[in-house]
Amino acid sequence: MRDQPAAPLVSASGLQKSYGALKVLKGIDLTMKPGERLVVIGPSGGGKSTLLRVMMGLETINGGSVTLAGKPYIRAGATPARTVIDIAVRRSIGMVFQHYTLFPHLNVMQNLILAPCKVRGEKKAKASERAAALLSRFGLGEKLAAYPSQLSGGQKQRVAIARALMLDPKLMLFDEVTSALDPELVGEVEQVILQLAKQDMPMMIVTHDMWFAKNIASRVLFCAGGVIVEDGPPEQVLGSPKEERTRDFIDRVFHIRQ
Amino acid sequence: MDSLDFTVVLRFRDALLQGLSTTLELTLICVVLGCSIGFAVGLARTSTNLVLRNLSSVYVEFFRGTPVLIQLFWIFFCLPLLLGIGLSNFASGVIALTLYMGAITSETFRASLKSIGREQYDACVALGLPRWTQITSVVLPQALLRAIPTLLSNCVSLFKESALVSAVGMADLMFIGSNISNNTARPVEVLTVVALIYFVIAFPLTRAVTVIERRILQKLVTWNQSKLHFVRLLSQEQEFDRWLAGRRTSSF
Amino acid sequence: MNYSFDFQSVTRNLGPLFDGLAVTLQLTVAANAIGLTLGFVLALLLMSPWRLMRLPVTLFVEFFRCTPALVQIIWFFYCVPMLFNVFLGSITMGILALGFNLAAFNAEAYRASIQAVPREQLDAGIALGLNPVQRILYIVLPTAFRASIPVLLTNGIVIFQQSALVAIVAVQDLMYQAKSLATQTYRPIETFSVAALIYFAVSFPVTQLVDYLERRRLAVAG
Repeated sequence: MRDQPAAPLVSASGLQKSYGALKVLKGIDLTMKPGERLVVIGPSGGGKSTLLRVMMGLETINGGSVTLAGKPYIRAGATPARTVIDIAVRRSIGMVFQHYTLFPHLNVMQNLILAPCKVRGEKKAKASERAAALLSRFGLGEKLAAYPSQLSGGQKQRVAIARALMLDPKLMLFDEVTSALDPELVGEVEQVILQLAKQDMPMMIVTHDMWFAKNIASRVLFCAGGVIVEDGPPEQVLGSPKEERTRDFIDRVFHIRQ
Repeated sequence: MDSLDFTVVLRFRDALLQGLSTTLELTLICVVLGCSIGFAVGLARTSTNLVLRNLSSVYVEFFRGTPVLIQLFWIFFCLPLLLGIGLSNFASGVIALTLYMGAITSETFRASLKSIGREQYDACVALGLPRWTQITSVVLPQALLRAIPTLLSNCVSLFKESALVSAVGMADLMFIGSNISNNTARPVEVLTVVALIYFVIAFPLTRAVTVIERRILQKLVTWNQSKLHFVRLLSQEQEFDRWLAGRRTSSF
Repeated sequence: MNYSFDFQSVTRNLGPLFDGLAVTLQLTVAANAIGLTLGFVLALLLMSPWRLMRLPVTLFVEFFRCTPALVQIIWFFYCVPMLFNVFLGSITMGILALGFNLAAFNAEAYRASIQAVPREQLDAGIALGLNPVQRILYIVLPTAFRASIPVLLTNGIVIFQQSALVAIVAVQDLMYQAKSLATQTYRPIETFSVAALIYFAVSFPVTQLVDYLERRRLAVAG
């Protein structure tokens, strides 16, 4: 990658995904350069969360392929069940979900070190050390022994982010990570993500929070009806969108037309 | 009718206790073996492998669909003929009750496996956990906790069903009880005491099931804060409805 | 395995097996009739506000739930005639023993589903101006009965299987016939396998129906 700085980190072409007769993704082409922070916005049911789940390798696909850092990652097969997903490549992606998905029977520390110990065979002591450092950076230094049920939503989501970072991902996916939070807790989670952005962590973010989108995005996609309607820098897509549908959506979100 | 004389039972105290210990030993062995089989079969029934799924379904459906007594007879009379080896009463009792326990606990485990949310599996994939780690570190502990109350009542069922081994001549509590009852011609006293012994052990366990079920339910609710939040919203709405309903009825 | 099968020894004697099945079915149907009705009455008594009413019923129910069915049946056959000086014929005795056992389990099923009727349903009933009796008749019972059907069916099929126990006290049901046929023909494998298949053929459709009902209920609820 050092030789070819312009090589894309992610390159997806012709992604199609259906649930039965319902087509959720209708052929999505997407390239993402290293260090880019992609924010995906759009109406509910427009396919943005599905796009992220496909990127994480959680879904089979009906058509298309994805490469990550030049390596083949996902390829559609003759049937959705035959979708080929390279597990080794998948391990270099981290994801944070809307509903935390911490393991409720493990405490914060155990949640963080489970994957490094079991996936990479890291020593428990070393993993714990890294985990503690990461948690204190996120302001959770005192919560190492707490169980998820003893944490607030914002704390849980920060733990979930730390857990994903333990595997040193090349790409982070955030799927509506603040949607389930009480309004006063949204800020602390967004701060952590902004902190990651400063370190040039490549990320794809699905969010409904336009303020956050504007602050973190290096590029914004507007996704509706299973296709990418508009793709550009945040000032353009959020400020003066070219497409009629994007303008409609942005106006409605910002309550300009009442 | 003669008057009841419970001192008869006291004379055979040691024999009855001996029988009880056989019953408990048998139950304990079959609980351990049966639960292990049950978990494996429960996993197999939720597997994506069609052969594995069908084989395990046939096993479970067959043992759920036939009387335990006939299963026991089959293993006691037929297995030695088929295998060409002798099986002791105890061995055939263990085999029969283990297979029975495996079938009923597999249903318990299957239900608890299904109740683990899709998101937990997503998180496993997102963290790249190998299949074996997913099962041992994430799925098993949660499934086990959810399954505990039902497993406990499965154990009570097994404890009760174990009385059947008396029908193939194994000297458990029931067998010794009926022998004493036949020899003393005091069935009312002896059989009542035998029933009471079973009751004294099974009853606290069934009560415990209820208590543990409630505790675990509470724990599961706090495990999922997002759901709790939802419940909270719902209950506020209900309070409003109740207030509204109260106002309507107060006019009567 | 060098056992040579001879299923003809069984197929020649299907007559007694089917006679046995008829007795087994008779026991099952009659026990279910007792279980469904007596169970419901017991459930209502279990929820009675009077402790004096609740206590004996609770004892009755718990006793049947917490002792082996085999013990109950043998107790019934040996002790009831001695204690009360009556013997009603072995099939009737079998029906009563199985019926009381089933009633205890069904009482719990009814009680659980009555108590599981959501509070809002009752609130809605109050809001609509229904009186307490109307609320029970039109809201609680229909909801509860529908919710308890899968458990009642399962209990019913369990008693079908448990009915095999009466063979031990010489009621000539399917199990009894199978056992005597196995002894006569020296063909236990074939005989018990065929008998097991007959039991299975009756139970399986019912358990499938229960699974279907459960799935539909979950689909509606979810």
